[in-house]
Amino acid sequence: MTSATFESAVQATLQREVQVRLRRYLKLAIYGAIAVAALWYAAVQIKLSFGALISGVPFMWDFITRLFPPDFSYLSVLGNATIETIQIAIWGTLLAILLSIPLSFLGARNTTPHIIVFHLTRLLLNSLRAINELVFALIFVSAVGLGPFAGVLAVALHATGMLAKFCAEEIEGVDKGQVEAQMAAGATRMQVILFGVTPQIIPQFIGYAIYRLDVSIRSATVLGFVGAGGLGFSLIQTMKLFKYHQTATCIFVIFLLVLVSDWICGKLRRKVI
Amino acid sequence: MLMPNTTKTKTILSVQDLTKSYGGAIHALRGINVDVHEGEFLVILGPSGAGKSTLLRCLNRLVEPTSGKILHNGEEITGKRVNLRALRQEFGMVFQQFNLVKRLSVLTNVLTGRLGYRSTWRSLFYNFSKEDKKIAIESLARVNMEHKAFQRADTLSGGEQQRVAIARALAQQPTIILADEPVASLDPKIARQVLNYLKQVTHELGITVICNLHQVEYTREFAERIVGMSRGKVVFEGTAEDLTDEILHRIYYKDPDEEEKNGK
Repeated sequence: MTSATFESAVQATLQREVQVRLRRYLKLAIYGAIAVAALWYAAVQIKLSFGALISGVPFMWDFITRLFPPDFSYLSVLGNATIETIQIAIWGTLLAILLSIPLSFLGARNTTPHIIVFHLTRLLLNSLRAINELVFALIFVSAVGLGPFAGVLAVALHATGMLAKFCAEEIEGVDKGQVEAQMAAGATRMQVILFGVTPQIIPQFIGYAIYRLDVSIRSATVLGFVGAGGLGFSLIQTMKLFKYHQTATCIFVIFLLVLVSDWICGKLRRKVI
Repeated sequence: MLMPNTTKTKTILSVQDLTKSYGGAIHALRGINVDVHEGEFLVILGPSGAGKSTLLRCLNRLVEPTSGKILHNGEEITGKRVNLRALRQEFGMVFQQFNLVKRLSVLTNVLTGRLGYRSTWRSLFYNFSKEDKKIAIESLARVNMEHKAFQRADTLSGGEQQRVAIARALAQQPTIILADEPVASLDPKIARQVLNYLKQVTHELGITVICNLHQVEYTREFAERIVGMSRGKVVFEGTAEDLTDEILHRIYYKDPDEEEKNGK
């Protein structure tokens, strides 16, 4: 390149840089204005108000002072409920793992037997995730009666929706080369899944399952609100009876439970992955 | 300082007894002594695992050497008291896998060559000065890539990406460019093109190049001087004419320790 053409190329690119930048700023301004307008409208609709928050502080403070001191004698009553909460979470997650293994293969584009099966599976998984555990719990309480079994089913279904979706996406992202090698060897579809796909996704699947157990323990603590077993029942009961010192004990136990489960699940995950 | 000869052989880098071991067991470099002359195109030739990359990364301190010294224009650049940021401004680097940030535009990638000169908070919003942009676009034009300045880096072919990577190194306005197997993942035609750009542009700007290669043909074609490495040691120093079959055998197949034991 001669020095004259070099200079003109540099100048032209510098000018284009200004144009490109201005166009980007314009785009940013337009989208930014739309976003601000939408957020503002939403804030008005949902009555976002710092005034209300600040004027509510004394009431919150009043509630908190009523919680203290926690009634630790109530701990002996909570023992069974705590264990029940953990049991609900473990069984719910286990059922979800079992259900999500076939569902995730059916719901991944590259392993599904048919595109219609894929869409139906995804639809099912989306609806499972769309429905909150508490709603599921209400349904199952009326189906199988009050108690922890309804809670187990609620946790299992919601967790299946999440686990299978994550796992299906993981399956879709596997390295194609490893799959191709199995196909080239004349492997059947099932053999390809067994030897080419499964080894690639096992660490991620275990990671998601452990994370899900952690989430399940949290959600199992509130299932008792609708009579599906666990600590939530004691929590709502003591509140309704205005025994706030006992409510405080419940909250304390839930806090401890979540802390310990987070710690254990974190340890487990580091070990596996 | 003892300076033999004329200005042409002014020593810009002097590596003295450099060693690098990992965990005390694996010895990547075992007493390297090399002088690099200002403005030359030096090729470090050797098989994979000879320690070429480690040596290169010791020069800009991406790797901490275990012992030994490196002098840059007579000043020591090993040790704790060296300002790494200032040091790395002097050394542009080109990598085997290009290492462009794929989701950023070509121009932004080249502008990252200016980061060593700018404070963090001044680059917080990806804003660069007009002067930096001019330097970056000039660097791109030197490798004839200015017409792709606003594309995303991952839309380019391998050869184009490496040319952009060279532009990024140039944008640093370095005195030395370290090229670590810059053409190992390119086909022969594109490889020659990239090496041509690298050699021509650095020659125009008076930049010293230290280029790792494992291919003998490219070395013969492009090297002004050659340092042969084998198992962490320098086993040859000379020009392309000196690179005989016997020397190639020494670089690629012989164990330098055996040779020493047998008294050569």
